[in-house]
Amino acid sequence: MSSEKFAELLWAEKYRPKSLKEIVNQEEIVRRLMKFVEEKNMPHLLFAGPPGTGKTTTALALAHDLYGEEWRKYVLELNASDERGIAVIRTKVKEFARSKLPGDVPFKIVLLDEADNMTADAQQALRRLMEMYVETTRFILIANYPSKIIEPIQSRCAVFRFTPLKKEDVIARLKWICEQENVECYQDALEVIYEISGGDMRKAINILQAAAALGSVTVAHVYKVVGLAHPREIREIVHLALAGKFIEARDKLRNLMVNYGLSGTDILKQMHREIFSADLRIPEDVRVELADYIGEIQFRIVEGADDEIQLTALLAKMALLGKKIGYTA
Amino acid sequence: MSTERRVPWIIKYRPKRIEEVVNQEEAKMKFVSWLRKWPNVQKRAALLYGPPGCGKTSLVEAAANEFGYELIEMNASDFRRKTDIERIAKRAATTSSLFGSAKKIILLDEVDGISGREDSGGLEAILQLIKISPSPIVMTANDPWDQSLKPLRDASEMIKFDRLKKQDVVRVLRRICEAEGLMCEEEALEYIAERSEGDLRSAINDLQAVGEGYGKVTLSLVKALVRPRDREHDPFETLKNLFSAKYAWQAKMALSQSQLDYDQLRLWLLDNIALQYTDPEDRARAYEALSRADIYMGRIIKTGDWDLLAYAIDMMTAGVAMAAKNNPKDKYRWVKYTFPQRLTLLARTKEVRAIRDDLARILASHLHISTSLAKSEIIPLLHVVFMTNPEYAAKLAVGLGLSEKMIEFLAGPEKTTVLKYYREFKEAIQRQALQQAISTQQVAKPEKEKPKPSTKTSKKVKSETKSSLLSYLKK
Repeated sequence: MSSEKFAELLWAEKYRPKSLKEIVNQEEIVRRLMKFVEEKNMPHLLFAGPPGTGKTTTALALAHDLYGEEWRKYVLELNASDERGIAVIRTKVKEFARSKLPGDVPFKIVLLDEADNMTADAQQALRRLMEMYVETTRFILIANYPSKIIEPIQSRCAVFRFTPLKKEDVIARLKWICEQENVECYQDALEVIYEISGGDMRKAINILQAAAALGSVTVAHVYKVVGLAHPREIREIVHLALAGKFIEARDKLRNLMVNYGLSGTDILKQMHREIFSADLRIPEDVRVELADYIGEIQFRIVEGADDEIQLTALLAKMALLGKKIGYTA
Repeated sequence: MSTERRVPWIIKYRPKRIEEVVNQEEAKMKFVSWLRKWPNVQKRAALLYGPPGCGKTSLVEAAANEFGYELIEMNASDFRRKTDIERIAKRAATTSSLFGSAKKIILLDEVDGISGREDSGGLEAILQLIKISPSPIVMTANDPWDQSLKPLRDASEMIKFDRLKKQDVVRVLRRICEAEGLMCEEEALEYIAERSEGDLRSAINDLQAVGEGYGKVTLSLVKALVRPRDREHDPFETLKNLFSAKYAWQAKMALSQSQLDYDQLRLWLLDNIALQYTDPEDRARAYEALSRADIYMGRIIKTGDWDLLAYAIDMMTAGVAMAAKNNPKDKYRWVKYTFPQRLTLLARTKEVRAIRDDLARILASHLHISTSLAKSEIIPLLHVVFMTNPEYAAKLAVGLGLSEKMIEFLAGPEKTTVLKYYREFKEAIQRQALQQAISTQQVAKPEKEKPKPSTKTSKKVKSETKSSLLSYLKK
């Protein structure tokens, strides 16, 4: 349709495989899932594996193959980190379970993403839900870390482990997308994208699209995009704190949290990356010490009530450490 | 140490029966007779007024307890819109009590707080509630004589409370000392009572601060600690008292004598520790204490175990005050304290954050990811695209169905350019759809056989076609 001249989607959505047949890697998983489609029956499923390895895509494709084009009607998508507690999830599932069943498939699907973000108590409640509605619904749970899913749930699910995608698979996919989009791309640039995204396909495609928006996918464009998107602020915060400019560091931190909406954990993860970067000239043993601080604060954020207080305490420790090693920016 | 000691004494020793309310015999009689007659009374509401800490709220609580009413407490500041009132009245009328009693009292504390407010909507809402409420409304105020409160006075049975006499206060303090097994000097209690100016609540708080902090109440301690309170300390005084505290209990008292509660104090400390303490190690120690306090708060929220609050308070008061080891002189530095900047920033960025959150929800649903991932991973990349390639950005905005506000948020300085393209594209799509509709009509095809939409956008086009076709036909 010619309106495409005026409208564009995110490629991660546009080129998401719709059917199991289109999923190229994870062959073993796909083969077993196709069996479920054939029999129009399946147990609860647990998809586990690193981000961007196709867990959500596979689940959606499975639903598509089971129910056809109307699949959205029969799938309730929930993201555990967006739902406000198990009570909300329970209400939604309850309501969904009451709605009409598809004609030829005897169950509907509840797709629960980031299930490993749920507390153990919430998972217990989830387990009861899974049992209560098992007649009419099947759950597909998606998690990065299967070990964070409680044993009773694991034992009720068929567990599928998604392995990291191979470098050549990711690059081939990126190249294919560029061909579809008529975008010039270079092999070395695609390799850089793969490295930056750490094998996460969704991340890789997003970076690809942003780089392509600059005209072509070159190494320079990729770095430019990533540099702009991942603001230098975090690096600056680390520098400022180590150099003893605590108040400036604190103000930048607050700005990042309020204006960018970054969570404390987001910031800590980026800081963690930053302290091992070669640009930061500090003794190697100090990197280790910093990593330990950061880890401690991440633990406290989980325990504590206020991200900013915890991160500010971290900055104060960094300033102290910076003074001890005589750090200058 | 027993856990009860951590309960604020003003709660622990709250009167349970009317006779336990100190003095105020006239007020008691008047209030009880009004309450018992309700609704057969001249005035459907009662306004209890008098100086702070003289027993207004205590009397209402004690009466409710004794006569088996359920007390529904509302903050006067909740009253802004008519719908609020209806909601509250409905709740008062319909909620069945946990204890099975159907009788309720609605208590509005400190209604004089609304007189200074700019919107008079709150006052009208209360008057409306008085008219329709199926339960008695009881209000309290320190000073009900503001001109703007006249309608409220007219609608209420006015019940006056007197300032408590020194000897009344001393008697209560002595009783608490006995119950707590505290060694108390009589002169110390007199001193506290004198300084409280008849405010029993503040006197009990002072007694607890000294008694708990030190294990005994002597005149010399009290003289060092209890200062005349010409009201509670404002945040600036609170910070000064906290930082300059030499002893742990002084730091703790800085909070108990403050207008700030522990939650607010956390935010004030977050900004001001770094201003007071200059030595990096002192700072780190102080923020470490605040971090510990925050962890206790987190555990309280998670477990509901309010016993932990005492430790959180210890950390954020004494922990912070005792942190200046390298540069103890910093404790007494004069500092221009700052209002918590987070609150200012949040207020200022409220609209932008709402836009960002809506945007994150749209992206999350397109990409089947969480909103926090959309914020940390997708929005930054979109920022880049929107600031570097306005035309392409506009296409994305159309395709994703973003609002103009979202485009402005993403494009920043480039917003005019992106918006220009965006409007052009939207028009073009509309025009195209219209032409298509006309040509379809001309070939006289039935409407059902329109080309099958292939993408989400074309679905939108379809509905736009209908509306633009309608307006076209009207011409």
